[in-house]
This record gives sequence, C-alpha cells and structure tokens, in this order.
Amino acid sequence: MRRETQNVLLLLLGGALLKIAVTGDYLRYVKPAHRPWLLAAGAVIVLLGAVAMIRDIRAARQPTTVHEHHHPARSAWLLMVPVLAVFLVAPPALGSDSVTRARGGTAAPAGSGTSFPPLPPGAVVALRLTDFVSRAGWDEAGSLNGRTVSLTGFLVHSEQGTLLARMVIGCCAADGFPVRVQLRGEQADGLPADTWVEVTGQVVPDVNTAASGGYTPAFTVRTLRQVPEPPDPYEY
Amino acid sequence: MLLVLAILGQSLLQSAFDVPALRTGATVFVAVCVQALPFLVLGVLLSGAIAAFVPARVLRRVLPRSESAAVGVAGLSGVVLAGCECASVPVARRLIGQGVAPAAALTFLLAAPAVNPVVIVSTAVAFPGEPGMVLARFVASLATAMVMGWLWIRWGKLEWIAEQALRRLPEVEGRDRWRVFTETARADLVDAGGFLVLGALVSAALGVLVPGEWFGALADQIVLGILVMAVLAVVLSLCSEADAFVAASLSALPLLPRLVFLVVGPAVDAKLFALQAGTFGRSFALRFAPATFVVAICCAVVAGLLFLGGAR
Repeated sequence: MRRETQNVLLLLLGGALLKIAVTGDYLRYVKPAHRPWLLAAGAVIVLLGAVAMIRDIRAARQPTTVHEHHHPARSAWLLMVPVLAVFLVAPPALGSDSVTRARGGTAAPAGSGTSFPPLPPGAVVALRLTDFVSRAGWDEAGSLNGRTVSLTGFLVHSEQGTLLARMVIGCCAADGFPVRVQLRGEQADGLPADTWVEVTGQVVPDVNTAASGGYTPAFTVRTLRQVPEPPDPYEY
Repeated sequence: MLLVLAILGQSLLQSAFDVPALRTGATVFVAVCVQALPFLVLGVLLSGAIAAFVPARVLRRVLPRSESAAVGVAGLSGVVLAGCECASVPVARRLIGQGVAPAAALTFLLAAPAVNPVVIVSTAVAFPGEPGMVLARFVASLATAMVMGWLWIRWGKLEWIAEQALRRLPEVEGRDRWRVFTETARADLVDAGGFLVLGALVSAALGVLVPGEWFGALADQIVLGILVMAVLAVVLSLCSEADAFVAASLSALPLLPRLVFLVVGPAVDAKLFALQAGTFGRSFALRFAPATFVVAICCAVVAGLLFLGGAR
C-alpha cells in the first residue's frame, strides 16, 4: 500500500473514533469510562497521519532529501473495515439476539445470601435490572416482596415467554451477558422484540423460571409504556 | 456522484445487516476494535518512544547480562505497563529491535497484559470472597510468561522471527528524534492495526457461531471443561481487563476451568495471534502461540491446585 493511502486511512480511522466518542455512539460498544481513551487515541491517530502528510509535502518540495524504503503493508487495507462499519453500518447496541444466544447466567452478586440494604421508600421504586434480579434471587430478607418497582429494558420473545432484558458489559460489548426478567401479563406479548419499555409491577416471590439459563425471576406487569432506547443501553 | 453511491451503499449494507446474527457480530467486531485501538495506540507510542529516546546501550545496562535473569526482570516489569495485550506487541517488537534478548522481550509480551494492577484489581472485584483466584491468576500468568522465556532460551531460533521485526533503527540525536518517534509510531500502527482488525473479525465471527450450550453442560466434566474454556479464551479474544467479569458470570462452572480461561486469554487469543503473525512473522506465531497455549494451561492447572485447593 502506498504511504499516501496509509495516511488517508489513518485520518479516517482516527476520525471514526473521534466521531463515535463525540456523538455518544461509543456507548453501544464500550463502557462510558472509555471515552477519554477514545478521544485521545482518535486524536493521536489523526495527528500521526497528518504529521506524516505534512512531512511528505515538505519533502516533496526539497528534491534533495532521500526517500526511505517502505515495505508494502497489504494488511493495512483491513483498517478500512472498522471505518466502513462505523460510518456506513453503525452497528446497533446488542439486543434480543444476544440474549437468546447468551452463555451462562446471572452471577451471584457480591456476598450472596447476605442481606441487602432496604429499598428506598416511595410508591414506585426505580431499579436497575441487575439490582432487581440479584435482590429477587439472593436477598434472604425478601426486600422486593410486595413492593412496586419500575424497570427499564428491551423485550425478548423466547421459549420462556416474553422477557424484559438488559445486557451487562464489563469492558466492551464482546463480553456482554444478559440479565432477564420474565414478564407476566399480556401487555408485552404483542410488541416486537427489541422494543424498549418501562414496566411497573411486582416480583412474583420465589419463582425461578430458567435454571439452566441463569436466574430469571418473574414479574407481574401492572403498567407498561414504550420508551426510546436510552443513550447508554447497557448496565455495568 | 460519490455521495449518491455512499447513500445507496449505506442502505444496501444496512439491509444486508438486518440478519440478527450478522448484526450482533458487527456490533461485537466494532466493540473489539474500539476497545483495543486505544491500547494499540498506547503501545505504538511507547514503541516509538523507545526507538527515539532510549538508546540500545541504556537497555543493555538496565537488564541483567544473563538471559535467564533478564527473563525474570522482564516478567516482573510487566507489572508496570497497565495495558491490554494489544499494547505489548509493538513494545516487545521494539525491545527486540533495540537489542534486548528476544527471550526477555517475549516474557514481557506475555506478562504485561496479565499481571498489571488493573487486571489484578478487576479480578478481585469480579471474584469477591475468592482471594485465591487473584493470587492463582497472578502466579499462573507470571509463570507462563517466564516459562515461555526460558523455553525460548533453550529452543528458540532467531530465524523464526521475521527480518523486519529485528531491524534496528539507527540512533538519532536532537530534532531527528521527533521524526523517528512519529514515523516509528505511525509505521507500527499501520502494520499492527490491520492485524488487530483481522483478529477482531475472527473473534466476532466465532463468538457468534460458538453455541451457548458449550458453557452449560460442562459443570461436571473437569478436564473437558478446562479444555473448552481454554479454547473459548482463544476464540473470544476478550480484553484482559474485562475477562474476569465474564469468567465470574459463568457461575455454573467450577473455579479451575475459569482460572484457565483467565490465564490463557491474555497470553494467546485470536487477535493476539493475528498481531503476532503480523509483527513477528507467521513462522514465529505458528510455533509460539501453540506452545504458549499448552504452557498457560499447565501453569493455570498447577496454580489452581495450589491456591484454589483442588478443582472446585
């Protein structure tokens, strides 16, 4: 590959990183904490390409300078793939497909079997799906029983019925795994998969519907409303 | 005209990516690239800095003269570089280029992503109440790196490493240093970047294709579990700072196979193999990666038996 092409590729690649970091699309792929890294890396890549371009233009004006030998790097063309993927395809955040093909299950939270802090007061308590599932599965005090909570996630239709799910990531989407809640009540059954909804309702005590696919508590839906996909679709 | 083509292409591509599996694969691919690129950039900047500002004689003075001792120092110095595995490949290559013994550079290559503080802390967070796991991972990863270094001293051959990785850059002074710094970093980035992308493509494809049942049915078969987890570590190519969380989530499995997963992953995986093949040459990678794979499994099993109290 020619040196000029390499430099253009570097500008594009750095630009792609900067673009997703600035627009917030990066949250589909990595944790929020990665943002400064992405901005810095994008800037460095653009700079390395730009400096080389400027140097080449200057060198071209002075015909006396000797040009270094560069071995052809065909592999560099592969850098086009993520650039095209980011600018043209812009892959969406992981959704129902990842939940149905997921490995493993929800891990026991830190110090499982111990008691959780009491839920905050209020008629409806908003909880992260992760917190809801770990309380439903491992809280010996049963702090969820009888309380109305609101949960936000996307819908998945599986053999266990309609699920409300959320992907949890540790670093990037490659290591994502789902947390799931089985929805009781027909309100969600007609909606297409991957619809984002906010539901309120109560846990069905002591129900584990899928022993093999990890812990999945059941939830009686009282109200359901569609919401737009949140800017940060994952939990951590 | 170009714009029209781009818009047409975009809608075509997006309809092609409407297949759920392909969409998931594309997301995982971009995620691996986006997550790894900053570390690769860090690595090529370090590599450029070594080439421009650290003369070969300084490195020779810092490292012990005996190769075996240098391997030990290199393994422990891996604790300092807090980065993913992608950062250490260009750095190791530059160290070899600057005259460091290949055995020591390769030990550093394996140790840096596996024993740095970030990885240790994230393992401790992912396995609360299991301090043995953290210790076992640290010891097994360090042992893997050092054993590979000593094996290289005994059997390694310099001609396996591609000529371009061995080329030493001339020493420079003053303003020229900045030129060497940026040019080295740029060339390393272009060289290694393509292979990083290749590794990400392979791992995204395999990650979607590997059936999920592989994980569930292995709880009782410890030997099969170890082997499958080792293969999965290679296939999934997770960042070494995040793999502990994935291992923790596979709660159906005993601890030992999960430890193997954590020790093998940072030492050898699909994207690392691609990076090594691109940087050091194919005949190097084809020998080094399988050897690392076996050594890592052995070290992990021994460390697991010592620190986890058997296969639980």
